[in-house]
Amino acid sequence: MRPMRHVVCIGLIVLGTSAPAFAQADGASPRPVVTFDGRPTVRIGDIGHVDFRVKTQADWRDFPAEPTADPNDAFDLHRARVGVGGTLLTRVEFQVERDLRDAARPWRDVFVDVRTVRRVGVQAGHFKIPFGLDQLTSVMDLDFMYRSLAGAYLTPGRDVGLMVHGRSFGDRLRYQAGAFERGGDNLRASERTDTGTAPTVAGRVVVKPWAGPETRSPLRSLALGVAFTDGRLPDGPNSLRGKTAFGDPIFEALYVGGRRVRVGAEVQWRVGPASLQGEFIRAVDQRRGQGIENEDLPDAVARGWYVGGTWVVTGERKKDTVKPARPLSLRGYGAVELVARAERMALGTDGLAASYAGPRDAAIPLRADTAWAGGVNWYLNDFARVQVNVVRERREAGVGLDRGVTWSRLLRLQFGF
Amino acid sequence: MVLRGRHLRLVLVFAFAGWCLGSASLAAQSPAVTPTLDDLLSGTTLNDVWLHINARDWADLQANYRENTYYPADFEWQGVRVRNAGVRTRGRISRNDRKPSLRVDFNRYVTGQQFLGVKAIVLNSLWMDPSMLRDRLSMLLFRRMGIPAPREGHVRLFIGANREYAGVYSVVEEVNPAFLQANFNQNDGYLYEYHIQGAYGFEDPGPDLDWYRPRFDAQTHENGSTVELYAPVQSLVETVNAASPSDLRGALADVLDIDTFITQIAIQNFVAQQDGLVGQFGMNNFYLYRFEAQSLSQIIPWDQDGSFRMIDMPPWQNMDTNVLAAKIWADPTYRDLYLRKLVEVATLAGPWLEDEVVREYAQLREAVSVDPLAPYPFEQFESEVAFIQQFARDRAAIIRSYVEQVSPSVLGDGFAGGRKARR
Repeated sequence: MRPMRHVVCIGLIVLGTSAPAFAQADGASPRPVVTFDGRPTVRIGDIGHVDFRVKTQADWRDFPAEPTADPNDAFDLHRARVGVGGTLLTRVEFQVERDLRDAARPWRDVFVDVRTVRRVGVQAGHFKIPFGLDQLTSVMDLDFMYRSLAGAYLTPGRDVGLMVHGRSFGDRLRYQAGAFERGGDNLRASERTDTGTAPTVAGRVVVKPWAGPETRSPLRSLALGVAFTDGRLPDGPNSLRGKTAFGDPIFEALYVGGRRVRVGAEVQWRVGPASLQGEFIRAVDQRRGQGIENEDLPDAVARGWYVGGTWVVTGERKKDTVKPARPLSLRGYGAVELVARAERMALGTDGLAASYAGPRDAAIPLRADTAWAGGVNWYLNDFARVQVNVVRERREAGVGLDRGVTWSRLLRLQFGF
Repeated sequence: MVLRGRHLRLVLVFAFAGWCLGSASLAAQSPAVTPTLDDLLSGTTLNDVWLHINARDWADLQANYRENTYYPADFEWQGVRVRNAGVRTRGRISRNDRKPSLRVDFNRYVTGQQFLGVKAIVLNSLWMDPSMLRDRLSMLLFRRMGIPAPREGHVRLFIGANREYAGVYSVVEEVNPAFLQANFNQNDGYLYEYHIQGAYGFEDPGPDLDWYRPRFDAQTHENGSTVELYAPVQSLVETVNAASPSDLRGALADVLDIDTFITQIAIQNFVAQQDGLVGQFGMNNFYLYRFEAQSLSQIIPWDQDGSFRMIDMPPWQNMDTNVLAAKIWADPTYRDLYLRKLVEVATLAGPWLEDEVVREYAQLREAVSVDPLAPYPFEQFESEVAFIQQFARDRAAIIRSYVEQVSPSVLGDGFAGGRKARR
C-alpha cells in the first residue's frame, strides 16, 4: 500500500504544478458526450475526456513439461486488465490500469503526465522505468506472444517515481530521465519485499537521425537508442531472475549487494509493411561482501540480446500495431503479418561449465537460453488478433533443467481497446 | 684407514641417531590419517567444528530462527572443509535465536556432495538440557542394547570468518537413508519422522488416512500417494489395537517386532525419559521405518533430552497412556518380559553409565565454562551433571526394587548381581 500512497502524493504535487492550466478552463459546465472512436470515451467539452480500456489475452500452450510439474499443455486466460485513461485541459494526461488476474500486484500504470513548456512532460506515479524497448512496448502491441527474454527479465519494470520526458530537434531526439523509489517490480520476490531497497535512477535517449517532416529517406524511421539504470541493491539472494520463454527458472538466486547497473542499446526500423528491431542489455549486480568469509565476490553479469523482424504480407503499414485495411467485420480478411526472432540470455562466465556450487560461490557457471521464434499475427480488426508462435529453445544450462532443445507451440486470442 | 674401538663405536652411535631422526622425520612427513565420521561421532574427544558463514547470514538465521531458510556455509573439521553446504535452524520447541540448533545439508547446493559419506548432520545446541549429556547418554544406552540409534559427539562450534566461539554443541547423526543402510543394510523402505500433534499413544483414529500425514512425515518416498504411504501405518495401528494382550508376538509379527519395542520402552523407562514412547505427552521423539517390501516396521529413537529427569520414576509410569504399552503391562507374560528387559538394561548400565558421565563431564567442563551462548549458568551445568551422576549410580538399584515389588521372580540372579554391585 505504501507505494500507492506515494503515487497519490506525487500525483497531487504534479497536478498542483499544472494549476495554471486549470485556470484556463471555461467557467461553463458542458454536458458529457459519449463517443466510440476505437474505444468508449466520455468527452466533457474542453475540460477533457476519459477513455475506457480493456486488455484480454487467452492462450493455448503446448510446451514440454518439467518432470515434476503438472503437464504444461494448458489454456490460460493470460491477461485481463481494465483501466481508464484520458486528458484533462489538454495538458494533463492520466492513466489507471488494474490487472484482474494478479492479486499480488493488481495496479499497473497509475500516473499523471503533465505537459509543461517546450514539449517537456513531467510524469509521476507508478509506471514503467524507461529502460528496454521491448519492455516498454504495450502487451497488446507485442509482435510475439511473449516478450524477449532480455526484455522480460533484465529490465526493471514498473515503480513509483517521477520522470521528465520530451522530444527535441523536430522529433529527432527523444529522452526520458527519472528517479524511482525502488528498483522496479520485475525482480525476485525477496528483493521486492526487502525494506532495504534504495532509489534507482534511469535514463533513455532515442535518436532518429534521418527523421523530419520533409524527409523521404527509407531511413527516416530508423531509431537508435541507449538507456541505463543505476541503483543500490539490498544485500541478499536478489540477483536478477532468468527464465525460459515459458517461465522455467534458469538463473539461480545469487547473493548480491552494492550497485545494480544496467545498460542497453536498441534499434528499431520500420519501412512500410516491414520492421526490424533489436536490443542488447547488460546488467551488472555487484557482490560486495557477499562471500562466505564476507569477502567481495566477482560481479554477477547478465546479458541478453534479440533481433527480430516482421512483414505484413497484406501490405498494411507497420506501426506500433497494424490496422487492417479490410477488417474481418467488413467482409475482409484482416491483415496477416509474419514474424521471426532470434535471441539469447545468459548469466555467468562464458566457458565456465562447472557445476553450480552455491549462491555465495565466487564462480558463476554459465546459465544460458537461446530461442528462435517464428509466427503469424492475424489482425481480424482493430480490436482482435490471433497469434500463432512456434518456439525452439536451447537451454545451455539451468537449474534443474537438462541441456537440450525443446519445441513449443502457442496460440493466442487477443481482444482489447 | 680402519676404524677401531672408540671411533667405531662413535660412528655406530651417530649412524643409529641419524637413522632414528630420519625415521622420525619421515613419519612426520607421511600423510595424516584421514579422519572418519566415527572420529567425529564417537565422543572420545571434544572436536572443534568451524562453520564458515557470511556474517549477515548468521545474523539473519538468528533473527529468523523460526523459518527453515537455508544459508550457504562451509563446514570444516580437522582440515576437512566441505564448501557450499546449506545451513538452517531446526527443532520444535527448542528453537531459539540465541543458540540455534542447526541442520547442515551438504548437498543443498552441490548435487551429491557429502561429508565423510553423509549428506547431512545435525548440530544440536542442547538448549533444553543444562547438563548437555542426556541425549548422548540415552543414545549410547540404546546402542549398547543393540537398538539402532543415532551416534552423537560433542563439539566446540566456531562461527564465521573470525572464528568466534559459539559454544558447545553435539553433532548428531541424522536418521536418513545413510543411517538406514549402516544399521539395517537397506535404505529403500519407508521412513517417517513422527511429529507430535497432541497426546497420541497408538489409538486407532479411524479410516481417514490423511490423519496420519502431519504426524508421520515421510522422509523417503515423499512423493508417494497417501495410500502408498499411510495405509501400512494405519494397518500397524489397527493391528496394535486389535491384538490380544496374551498374543502380542503372534498378532504383531507382520507389523512390529514386539521384543524390540519392549527393549525400547525398557531403556526409556530406565533413563526415565519423560518425552518418549510412553512419555507424559503421548508418543514423541521417534522415527518409524518400514522395511523394504515388508509390512514390518521398527521404531528409531530421536532426541532423548527428556531423560534422566526423575531418579525414582516407577517403571510402570505412563504405561497406560500407550495402547501397546498398556497391553504389555496388562499381560503377565509380556509384563515379565518387559521387567526382565528393564533389569537387563540396569545391569548393562551398571558402573559403565556413571563412568561415562564422569568422562564426558571432564571432556566438556572447560568448554562449557566459557560457552558464550549457553542458556544456563555454568553452576547449573555442574549441578545437573552431578544429578545425572547420582542417577547413574542409584537408578539400577531403584529399578530392581520396583521390579521386586511387582514380580520378584523376574530378578533371580540379576537381582543378586544388583545387590552385589551395590555392595
